[in-house]
Amino acid sequence: MMLAGILGLQYEFRWSVLWESPYGYWLLQGFKNTIVLSLLAWAIALLLGIALGLLRTAPWRLPRAIATAYVEFFRNTPLLVQLFFWYFAVPQILPAGPVRDAINSLNLDTPILTLNFEFLAALAGLGVYTSARVGETIRAGIQSIPRQQTEAALSSGLSLIQVYRHVLIPVGFRIVIPPMATEFLSIFKNSSLAVTIGFAEVTFQTQQVNSYTFKGLEAVTAATLIYLAISLTIAAFMNRMEHRYAIPGLIARGAVRE
Amino acid sequence: MRKSLSVFLTVLVMLASAAPALAETVLEKITRTGVLTAGTRTASIPFAFINEKNEWIGFSIDFLEAVRARLEKKLGKPIKLDKKEVTPQTRIPLVANRTIDLECGSTTYTRGRDETVDFTINFFFTGSQLLVKKGSGIKTLADVAGKRVGATQGTTNEKALRAQQPRADVVTFMDHAAGFLALEQGKIVAYVTDGILLAGLAAKARSPKDYEVVGDFFSKDPYSCIVPENDSKWRDFVNHALMELIDSGKYFEMYDKWFGEKGVVAYPMSAQVRNYMLMQSMPE
Repeated sequence: MMLAGILGLQYEFRWSVLWESPYGYWLLQGFKNTIVLSLLAWAIALLLGIALGLLRTAPWRLPRAIATAYVEFFRNTPLLVQLFFWYFAVPQILPAGPVRDAINSLNLDTPILTLNFEFLAALAGLGVYTSARVGETIRAGIQSIPRQQTEAALSSGLSLIQVYRHVLIPVGFRIVIPPMATEFLSIFKNSSLAVTIGFAEVTFQTQQVNSYTFKGLEAVTAATLIYLAISLTIAAFMNRMEHRYAIPGLIARGAVRE
Repeated sequence: MRKSLSVFLTVLVMLASAAPALAETVLEKITRTGVLTAGTRTASIPFAFINEKNEWIGFSIDFLEAVRARLEKKLGKPIKLDKKEVTPQTRIPLVANRTIDLECGSTTYTRGRDETVDFTINFFFTGSQLLVKKGSGIKTLADVAGKRVGATQGTTNEKALRAQQPRADVVTFMDHAAGFLALEQGKIVAYVTDGILLAGLAAKARSPKDYEVVGDFFSKDPYSCIVPENDSKWRDFVNHALMELIDSGKYFEMYDKWFGEKGVVAYPMSAQVRNYMLMQSMPE
């Protein structure tokens, strides 16, 4: 009421909609789905992204070209469009028949969540999109290592694989921890777009609360706080990672704890 | 994008502009700016939709035009109609924070919504039904138990569906176009919204004869325009615009244009609804 008065809104706040039954349960469900979707998508993004980043720096022309095309395609088109693409277009590539129908109408209850095509499309879309961004980050990290180090390592008799294994990866991967933290944060925030293809994550559930109670301000505030809490937790975790794996003497402005 | 973004933008706009806007009534604001800012839909055929020629037209938009014409007559100066797209999720907040002066699309008047915003008298009647592929075997709401059924999130239809068929797996979509595409692709076995909108979706399909609207109305959906809470002069103004259209018979001409035999969606008015519309108009 106070806040509404200050803002000059003719609006009565009722914060209890956020924990009353069943709305509180809905928000918890949404929170769980956001976490599951984002973590699994992050696993895909990390695996694909590392492979892409390494290929982008490798001296083999064809794999490099393929990786470059992949990165440029997925990084330079909107995630929303990609989600619609995975959800509405990808299954239609399959010939009409029982397989396609089964994918489209998939509905399997598992202990963690309902496995349906909405979830799979969101997972693929989010994972693939983020993998392109992770790939770029990895490439930048490896290319930031002075060329002379690679040359020195090669001339000391190491094979290319060994150079990656013992020189480029250990240094490059540590340099990119801060931008990687940003990507990790982004995947949680970007997961909110999954609502557009009907996946019941936290944004979806706050909108459900809104449409059942017409308490939109409370619902949006809850969504904001939930995303903020997730982000701050991850930021704190990634900060620790950064300190723990910092390379002494390298970009160490205040980063190294002795 | 659209929904989460616009909800957040709504809040931002609220924070930024709510305080000064409250000082004046909608009529005062329109007098000052010369602009009627109205929210409406883009895929609610034939209420408000974008046609093949990329024109934004429909029954609700004709009504908005009538409100604009009445404003010009009352205020004695040209008034511009500024149409803004709204979704079921944004239409109430956008009216509540006075970003738009009224919303006319395909919005059901409910008592719950009435606590946050105000509604005009009804300009249309319909109710929830199911759109299915012909030969699906689905005839009533009971037949969709355990099956995937689509609805637009935040609508009265979605709530009616969840309440009256709790055993259906409800999949939600951002708009009717996406829901219909999902039905076409077999992602859902039935799509739920107001019967009139289902008829509109089927009429616009590539092969309209492959689809059918089935089942009794399982919700009551009288359509009204949304206007801001506690601005009774403005609500009266819009109500009287509709009453004048009913009295002059223009309302029924508009109805025929969109829902008649040659209309976009054939949906002849029942004698009962005709009578109700006439009764809604109060004497001068």
